[in-house]
Amino acid sequence: MAKKKTIYEVDGVFHEAVVEVPANEPQAWGPDASMAVLGKPMPRVDGPDKVSGRAKYTYDINLPRMLWAKVLRSPHAHARIVSIDTSRAEALPGVKAVLTHKNAPDMAWPFHGQDGKLFNTTLRYSGEEVAVVAAVDEQIAADALELIAVEYEEMPFVLNPEKALESDAPKVRGESNLQGRTSVYSRGDVEKGLAEADFVVEQTFHSQVQVHACLEAHVSVAQWSGDKLIVWDSTQAVHPVREQLAQVLSIPIGKVRVICQYSGGGFGSKLWLNKHTVIAALLARQTGRPVKIAFDREEEAMTMGNRPSNVMTVKAGCKRDGTLTALYLKSVGGVGAYPAGAGCGTPLREIYACPNVKTEESNVFIHADQARPHRAPGHVQGTFALEQVIDMLAEKCGMDPLEFRRKNYSSVDQTRNNIPYSAKGLDRCYSEGAAKFGWGERAGRRQQASQRAKKRGYGMATQIWGGGGGPPGYAIVKINFDGTANVLCGAQDIGTATRTSFLQVAAEELGMKPEQVTLAMGDTETCPYGPGSGGSRTVPSMAPAVRMAAADAKRQMLDLASRVMKLPAERLEAREGFIFDKENPSTRSPIRDITGKMRTEWESPQSQIIGQGFRGPNPDGVALNTWGAQFAEVEVDTETGEIRVLRIVAAHESGRIINPLTATSQIEGGVIQGIGFALFEQRVLNNATGRMVNANLRDYKLPSARDIPEIESVLVDIPDTKANSVAVKGLGEPPIIPTAAAIANAVYDAIGVRLTEAPMTPDRVLRALGKAPPARVRARGAPATTRPWEVVHA
Amino acid sequence: MHSFSYVDARTITRAINLLGTERDRAKIISGGTDLLDELKEGLVKPERLVNIKANPALKYIRFDAAAGLQLGALATLTEVENDPNVRQHYPVLAQTIGVIASPQLRNVATVGGNLCQRPRCWYYRNDALFCKRKGGPICYSVAGENTYHAILGGHECYIVHPSDLAPPLLALGAKVTIAGPQGRRTIPLKDFFIGPEVNITRENVLAQNELVTEVSVPVPPAGTRGVYLKVRDRQTWDFATVTAAAVLTMEGGVCRRAGIALGAVAPIPWHSPEAEKVLTGTRITAEVAAQAAEAALAGAKPMTQNGYKVPLAKNLLRRAILQAAGLAA
Repeated sequence: MAKKKTIYEVDGVFHEAVVEVPANEPQAWGPDASMAVLGKPMPRVDGPDKVSGRAKYTYDINLPRMLWAKVLRSPHAHARIVSIDTSRAEALPGVKAVLTHKNAPDMAWPFHGQDGKLFNTTLRYSGEEVAVVAAVDEQIAADALELIAVEYEEMPFVLNPEKALESDAPKVRGESNLQGRTSVYSRGDVEKGLAEADFVVEQTFHSQVQVHACLEAHVSVAQWSGDKLIVWDSTQAVHPVREQLAQVLSIPIGKVRVICQYSGGGFGSKLWLNKHTVIAALLARQTGRPVKIAFDREEEAMTMGNRPSNVMTVKAGCKRDGTLTALYLKSVGGVGAYPAGAGCGTPLREIYACPNVKTEESNVFIHADQARPHRAPGHVQGTFALEQVIDMLAEKCGMDPLEFRRKNYSSVDQTRNNIPYSAKGLDRCYSEGAAKFGWGERAGRRQQASQRAKKRGYGMATQIWGGGGGPPGYAIVKINFDGTANVLCGAQDIGTATRTSFLQVAAEELGMKPEQVTLAMGDTETCPYGPGSGGSRTVPSMAPAVRMAAADAKRQMLDLASRVMKLPAERLEAREGFIFDKENPSTRSPIRDITGKMRTEWESPQSQIIGQGFRGPNPDGVALNTWGAQFAEVEVDTETGEIRVLRIVAAHESGRIINPLTATSQIEGGVIQGIGFALFEQRVLNNATGRMVNANLRDYKLPSARDIPEIESVLVDIPDTKANSVAVKGLGEPPIIPTAAAIANAVYDAIGVRLTEAPMTPDRVLRALGKAPPARVRARGAPATTRPWEVVHA
Repeated sequence: MHSFSYVDARTITRAINLLGTERDRAKIISGGTDLLDELKEGLVKPERLVNIKANPALKYIRFDAAAGLQLGALATLTEVENDPNVRQHYPVLAQTIGVIASPQLRNVATVGGNLCQRPRCWYYRNDALFCKRKGGPICYSVAGENTYHAILGGHECYIVHPSDLAPPLLALGAKVTIAGPQGRRTIPLKDFFIGPEVNITRENVLAQNELVTEVSVPVPPAGTRGVYLKVRDRQTWDFATVTAAAVLTMEGGVCRRAGIALGAVAPIPWHSPEAEKVLTGTRITAEVAAQAAEAALAGAKPMTQNGYKVPLAKNLLRRAILQAAGLAA
């Protein structure tokens, strides 16, 4: 079998893999392909289960004799454990096991860099694991935590990434708080580009730490059956978690089963194995009983990752006619106490045609929870900065912001040797989004709608993201005797409706009605390997594998049909539950009448047809990206600082739209989360202790129903036939990316001043308007060593 | 969560006895919208909950053209909001309740509980931080994150009082009836709340074995109009950043009587006789409204991050005054 090297991207990072070239990959469905199931709005197949409560989420798994585990967490941002005494906790009736660094296996923790352990004795953030109790119920476990006596030696800490880079800052790990080296990208000569510019703007932006706030907090249930481990985990990655569990527990992969059937949100916080899952497995092995460990809201917010904060200085120049000559970004991102990514330069490097570009991005350790990918990592904040600067330049040139963007349109990927994009529908996102929004009529509306204190404004922003997917990923399609089919595929449905999308792909290829097809995923025991659902890659990675498996099964089914119908197989096709003669469509037979003969018509009788499929390589020489543009209408109350988002039009191109209904849901969900980033959400750490003070849904503000405006989705449906056989790209992350930037540009349009800090809260609006004094201690700027009792209140 | 007993108090006397005299050893529960949070968050560890919902005599809404409005402590916010007499004679109260919390919470939250709720300061609410309001040594907001904290009336503790019901009730001149071992007493609502300079761990005058039984509101004179404006981060289910209540009795453009109070700016609901003085007997104009707002905030001492609350409160109060005076704001 032929193999080749291919490149695929996950969350902006390119990977290389050698993969098999499929011998029987179906030809890509083009724009003119006649579809019976694909592209049609189809309600989620598991919708009734979810709304009726039949769907079992991980938290719903309760097993006989199951124990509950609770975690004792560090109250300090930086401390050493001097001593720990668990004897009183162990003596509490109902407590079955207590795990600490003293009795847990000395296990390296692969996600925490070189010196990370399952239980660390040096604690580097408030919330880090100190001990775990397993007891017969949750309450006893919680009570037992209070009986554990820990003596800590407190050490100085630093919470602010910029302060962390100062030479006398307390060190999180090792000699320097800089993680690795500053990442530098350069093309052309940015100084020359700035010198050639007619207009130059420079602006510094701050973005906050945003936590994922999954409505289903992290939870794992572990059960041993002999040497076999079964784990129910709220995860975005059943197969990676299975392999990682096997690795850290030193047991065979084949002995580990990981299941996640339904998920109440992950957004990037559930992409790999967590400590609590391993701890549940260890406690279950030790006690001989199943163990459940479920996080409360505070633990979830304090310890399960976040979108890191960034300080971004952008310098940009253009000619009088709007031609960009230079783009420069310097970014400092705070990754938390353990290695993570906090880059945000991709949009600036890639969206616009510009010969001179430089980015310098530093990731900095601070004494806080480790950052994790958060829906479009880096892109949300990077776009917030870039797209405001683009508007600033457009204003200098006296150009319409949309025209300015069109002027600097790039049809090639300038960061990858100017290779062309496989498809780029951004121009259509611009024109169709602007038409739907009424972009051309906004001047009149602004004047008409603005009142004395309440000003109306309009803004837009562009989105770029990867989302091409790639190998590996596998699927199996089984056609049953009665003309129904089962699809087993890797990966999992994290709430994005992939279960429904893949069922549509399989039904389309098999020529069956959707109700004839049943699909399973999210179980490593029954389903083949698939990737974690991150980087908007699930559909573009797995849909082609599902299609290939269905095509493999269909080939066999048509061979059977040719024997039954006495016609050459090449003349036969399946559609909507029938197999018919392409030359004479009225000659047709229900699929079940054909499959019912699988035990009699073949020389070797079969009771089931089995088709296999896998994800082949990505195309060479093209860049796979997704595109979008969002338009925002806002009202700003200049006396109270309140911003109301009145309307968002979101136009996105992610290749073929498999299901317009669930695609629209993705866009709406992304926009809502984008509004949260723009206006409400921010982690607040107490600078005296490093503890998060708004780790609850009262003080950590997610948008409520009344904060969500009318969201109008424009699905720019351009089947990307170069990308893969289903001509599809990912849509999970794109819609969150440009929302905050579009809102920020609309706010400027309304009040004539720039909001450079996210979230754009009333205090910041009033300050930007010059109506309120500046904050004397910046929210993220207080020196970590400051103690309240040393400060005299003014 | 610690175990506790849950005892029904079918009479006020029984409730008083069950509460005992040792501070926080027993706690009153009615709607429980605040107390359950405090229990779960480990902020209070009572041995006994005294369920006053078992006393139906505390659940009423009465109106009399002479005596005015009487709200039993157990009247729910939803019941008050929907009461025809409230809507007719005290529309500002119905309007206020419409911006409190969420409909689900308003269905169980009570009038008495709303006035007696504990602060939402995120340092007070964090069980890991032993702050002054909890009897500890530090107010973390002073050197910490104080965006939402007090600009008025702070004194070693800078919480803001979370009640939305209190500012319009203060502006309406409400009174509160308190039952205790010595019987009942009725005091002006403005004397019910106490600042940290009086007692840093409490927000009101209630002794351990006392409870609010009734809130009474006089009949507003003809020509009275009330307005309550609330600025909050979110449009629903959110505590206030700043609120302003203005109740004006107008006679031909001249203000005969003014009731002014602010919310979320001070450790107590902030009654402003200074603003009332500017308005009373004056023809209301945009300028006068601005002067009143200036007077209300004259004593403001913002902290490091909450300076924005001063112009915000001024703007909001000015707007409330103009709307209450029937002028476009």
